[in-house]
Amino acid sequence: MSDNYQVDYKVKLVPEAKVHQTAIVKGLSVTMKEFVKTMFLGDAPTVQYPEQHRKYSERFRGVHILTQREDGSVKCVACMLCATACPAHCIHIEAGEIPDKRIEKYPGVFEIDLLRCVMCGLCVDACPEEALVMSEDYEMSSYAREDRVVARVDLMQRLKIKTWNLGYRPRYGESEKKIENKVLATGGTRDAGRHGEGG
Amino acid sequence: MPKVTINEKPIEVPAGTTILQAAEKLGFAIPHYCYHPHLSIAGNCRMCLVEVEKAPKLQIACQTQVTEGMVVRTQSEKAKQAVRATLEMELINHPIDCPVCDQAGECGLQDYYMRYGLHSSRVRLSDKVRKRKVIDLGPLVVLDTERCILCSRCVRFTDEVTRTHELQFFKRRDHTEIGTLDDQPLRNAYSGNVVDLCPVGALTSKDFRFKMRVWFLKSTPSVCPLCATGCNIWVDHHEREYATSDVTHSLGQDKGMPDVYHPGGEVYRLRPRRNDELNQSWICDEGRMGYKSLGAENRLYEPLVRKDGKLTWSDYGEALELLHQKLTDLKARHGGEAVAGVASPQATNEEIYLFARYFKDVIGTRLVDWRVGDGYKQIEAREDEILRRADKNPNSRGALLILAALTKQGGKGAEEILEAARGGKVKALVFQSQEWLARYPDQAKLKEALSRVDFIAAFATHRIPELDLVHLVLPQASYAEKDGSFTNYEGRVQKIQRCFPSREDTKPGWQIMASLFKKAGRELDVNSAADAFKMLAGEVPAFKGMTLAGLPSTGTVVPIK
Repeated sequence: MSDNYQVDYKVKLVPEAKVHQTAIVKGLSVTMKEFVKTMFLGDAPTVQYPEQHRKYSERFRGVHILTQREDGSVKCVACMLCATACPAHCIHIEAGEIPDKRIEKYPGVFEIDLLRCVMCGLCVDACPEEALVMSEDYEMSSYAREDRVVARVDLMQRLKIKTWNLGYRPRYGESEKKIENKVLATGGTRDAGRHGEGG
Repeated sequence: MPKVTINEKPIEVPAGTTILQAAEKLGFAIPHYCYHPHLSIAGNCRMCLVEVEKAPKLQIACQTQVTEGMVVRTQSEKAKQAVRATLEMELINHPIDCPVCDQAGECGLQDYYMRYGLHSSRVRLSDKVRKRKVIDLGPLVVLDTERCILCSRCVRFTDEVTRTHELQFFKRRDHTEIGTLDDQPLRNAYSGNVVDLCPVGALTSKDFRFKMRVWFLKSTPSVCPLCATGCNIWVDHHEREYATSDVTHSLGQDKGMPDVYHPGGEVYRLRPRRNDELNQSWICDEGRMGYKSLGAENRLYEPLVRKDGKLTWSDYGEALELLHQKLTDLKARHGGEAVAGVASPQATNEEIYLFARYFKDVIGTRLVDWRVGDGYKQIEAREDEILRRADKNPNSRGALLILAALTKQGGKGAEEILEAARGGKVKALVFQSQEWLARYPDQAKLKEALSRVDFIAAFATHRIPELDLVHLVLPQASYAEKDGSFTNYEGRVQKIQRCFPSREDTKPGWQIMASLFKKAGRELDVNSAADAFKMLAGEVPAFKGMTLAGLPSTGTVVPIK
């Protein structure tokens, strides 16, 4: 078999100088093409961070958001399931009482230690009421360690920062409306932790 | 003694035993809400339905008494289906507000739903009957009528145990709710028990309200230290680190030292622990709130030493050395009788024993006592008909037994020591707890006697105004921070257990005494409360042959005469 095996060499011999000339032109043309594309047409694979931010997946797990009710009060009722699920023990909640007898409870203190947080999203999974979701915010550096323990007010205000989209959350699509406080004026919304299902 | 077969297992039980009790003995848990071992049987929740052979219908296990040859099945398909149906009925109008309910985690509805139910609701949320929520029922109880399953445990409690009859059913049908007339507060001294009784979240504690989710808490069995009854309790606590700057008042901060964190803990609530022979399933409200003093503002964590007429914070090692020096010095100069000790019925058996032994063996004085007036003769005296006793010390009986075995006690008790102090014969005096100082009836007389004593030391858990009479204070661990045992009014020796470590300079009494022994050159082989108890058992006849680890959870009664 091996005796019959022959390779058909068809090597095109080009003078050395000619190789360089064509390669330079070819290479430069790619460079110029990309130069024009990125410089003038704005089509670059990189982004101008920090002026620009890359668009991440809808399921990106960034800094948390505490969602609100229609009236702007915090939706969380401090059931502490997120703190229970948290493998890093980074969620600290101290429950308080409010006079509204249909809600009773609210988080007087709700702090997430982002330095401890491993961004696993288990807290969002644990939350029974979409009170805690995540955003696409990944900028978590600061000058002081203390600044990275974010409190309730900061976690709620993230909604107003339109720069960051919503990230990891239990339901996509229709639930966004709920999170952005536009909808659902049915009787059930102001009730703490009532599901239609189960029980 | 009828013989019955439950789930194919035979058992012989005394006549009058119910199926539920017999099954419990065999280890079969039958679901129930209205049945409570220390209340009358109501039989209204229908959760405990079991199949009894030859009976036409299912029977309730809580009320049906066993008969000879009865064959019971608790796990049959028919019985299981009945439990499922009953549970679904209980949940028809339940608001399912577990996220804001303090009962979540120890709720009968949650537990049985996960074990027997797991059904989807056939009732729409909008169809549920709404009832009143967050009703204030006195200083300890919050009522939520929506969550109630109408088991009537709390109603029977106020009827049968406290006999105050405050709680009752109101309205009819699915609008039935429990409550008090015009929402009047519960005004009995045992009202907190309805919270523990309630199998669901209808009656919740106002004190514990929203403080902590129960699944974070650890429970340690212990004994209530607030009176001579010694009710059995669960101490529910959670670990909490504390920083050095939380405790060191002057030492660390001045040097600008960074905070060091130590393991510690915080008690969140006390619950009654079942003891059929003593407190059944109840504790009084006073005892229930007893935990508040543990983290109080005036808790002592550092020694105090008098300098220039003022008590100032000191180092533990220095304070202990000073105490030892003063006692041995005054003993050498004026003889053993010049040093006296006032023991404390607040301390554990082990602490009282080591304290008395120190004064007997190391100092060589007979002046060790605690008795004031005639109160010690009536430790059994009741304050009310249920649990509380007039003697507010947990270990008066133990102090009597131990001191009687170790020293020759005079008829006058601690008055003899005070008289000697007034006469200038006592140069040094050691108090085993600050409570004795505070509870002495004639404060002016006490002050006058103490002003003639050269050196007064006290072991204290809290800083109280009476400590200003003292020259040296050693901080002492509280009952949640140490091991030991109390002997209650009837001679029941019961264990208390350390829930979490005490803070750095705060030592259990037995440890302070052991280090004083060591400093005096008489090292004892005492490295734990159990070691001290072993020595005590060898010397005090009433405790003969007992060990701390060997004490059952409900205690052992020793002869008191």
